Amino acid sequence: MISDYLSPLWISLKTVLLTTVITFILGIAAARWMSRYTGKLKPFIDGAFILPLVLPPTVVGFGLLLLLGKHGWIGHPLSLIGTTIVFSWPATVISAAVMAFPLMYMTTRGAFEQVDTNVEDAARTLGASEWRVLYSVTLPMAWPGVAAGTILSFARSLGEFGATLMLAGNIPGKTTTIPVAIYFAIQAGDMKQAVYLMAIVLCIAFVSLAALAYLKKPKARMRSLPGNLVPNDLLYTTGKKDKTA
Amino acid sequence: MLKVEIKRTLPDFQLDVAFAIDGEVLGILGPSGSGKTMTLHCIAGLLSPNSGFIKLNDRVLFDDAQKVNLPPKARNVGLVFQNYALFPFLTAGENIAYGIRHHSRQEMNHRVQALIEKMGLQGLQNRYPLQLSAGQQQRVAVARALAPEPDVLLLDEPFSALDSLTKEQLEMQIMELRQFYKGNIILVTHDLAEAYRLSSRIAVYETGKIIQCDRKDKLISSPANQKVARLTRFRNFMDGIITNIQDKSVWVDIPDLGTNLRVFANGHKDLAVNQPITVGIRSEHVQAVAAPGQNIFCGTLNSSVENLASINCYFDLKTEKSGNRSLEAAFSKATAPQLIDGGSCYLYLPPEQIVIITN
Repeated sequence: MISDYLSPLWISLKTVLLTTVITFILGIAAARWMSRYTGKLKPFIDGAFILPLVLPPTVVGFGLLLLLGKHGWIGHPLSLIGTTIVFSWPATVISAAVMAFPLMYMTTRGAFEQVDTNVEDAARTLGASEWRVLYSVTLPMAWPGVAAGTILSFARSLGEFGATLMLAGNIPGKTTTIPVAIYFAIQAGDMKQAVYLMAIVLCIAFVSLAALAYLKKPKARMRSLPGNLVPNDLLYTTGKKDKTA
Repeated sequence: MLKVEIKRTLPDFQLDVAFAIDGEVLGILGPSGSGKTMTLHCIAGLLSPNSGFIKLNDRVLFDDAQKVNLPPKARNVGLVFQNYALFPFLTAGENIAYGIRHHSRQEMNHRVQALIEKMGLQGLQNRYPLQLSAGQQQRVAVARALAPEPDVLLLDEPFSALDSLTKEQLEMQIMELRQFYKGNIILVTHDLAEAYRLSSRIAVYETGKIIQCDRKDKLISSPANQKVARLTRFRNFMDGIITNIQDKSVWVDIPDLGTNLRVFANGHKDLAVNQPITVGIRSEHVQAVAAPGQNIFCGTLNSSVENLASINCYFDLKTEKSGNRSLEAAFSKATAPQLIDGGSCYLYLPPEQIVIITN
């Protein structure tokens, strides 16, 4: 049945796209905050943000299960208003987002810290609000890092298996993503389905890696400001000779 | 009118300065680490002082008593960074337009075009900063800061990264800028000659304090203390005691040399006999003469250094005690005495060129 392939693909794509959007926004917000934050708690907050990267995915999934389950800190209040997260589609997004977040956060924070604060300050003295500084200066200048973080978190959420299985389970047509579907296909001895799904994953992975290479490539003009050195080939690209040089 | 009176305390540094400027160019002169850039960043709002106030025209930018601390975007202060801090992903024209995006497109283009012409950037507006020379980058940075018509323009070591020829051209440009920008300008530099050429008043910084703030000619002619004197290129200092005061003439006993030196009071009114003072003279004011007399000493040439237009001679003066006292003289090449190392000549210290430093 074609839907055996399409259903996991569709669920995976929905999950991965939403997860990428969520981690993109949260990762940038957290990276922006931590690249400025100088308080004593910095190493602890930083560690907490990166923790899911270090822990085994099943441990993260189990932790989320405890937190979001019927008797959990978050799950219990939600169950009172009639909402269950565990073993539902949103659970695939939550577990993938938690697993992918550290990659987006780490890469973006590193990129933000490389941005010359003078350039951001210049924007401020020119009347820019903090919001405008972020989207018109910090993000463009940190773009190669932000793009890398986005692609990495996209790839991580596409490959997410352990935490998803713990929190969202394997409900065909509802929570079965491609990695989960492959695992259960092999368990059931359905090698054909496993191979097809693997081919789909390979395609997506290859395309996203190519996109990474393309997006990360810094444009020649963006390669940092030199103090007083201007390569001659750049200086004369417009064909006009420079008077003062 | 800009009035600044601020204190900012760091663990190992304290900035404590006060000055006011009114539609003129103030040069802030001092060695690196003396708080010059910090002052500019406090005025621009990028740093907050611990106490004091900053007033610009009739607006309060910062006042610790009134709990006012405007963010940088609300201050209307133009700041040109030492490394220019241009937006590398925007063209020169877009860089200049960054601060005036809220105007109509027509008004924005009009202002950008006007600044491009005034700053001599014609034909470069579509280049990215990396495709511009350092001098061009600096002009874009100045144009960008001027676009929102700031009430004060702050220039942080604008010429430090440039070769001397480009530097001269840009200095001319900054001087021409006064023709269309009538606001206050503060220029931070560690180069006395640059501060002297470009500003009308100079504030001398030393580890976070202003040790003298005066009209530039006053600063050069009567330094308030030895540090300022050294910074303004006084090379020769002698300690002495006042022995006699007659009208404007003051006789100072220099124990080292065992003679009385005649100097002019030059506006010092608080002098008294037996008061210990320091006198100073620039090397270029020392003259070589033929015969001994008042204020004339015999010096032995120790070494000399030839400059482009002058010769710096280091003399040893004979002293009463053992050991020598050195005196530096700079002669123009045309009038320099023909001396070999070890040769002697008479050196005249003109009284009108000697400055008195009381503290």
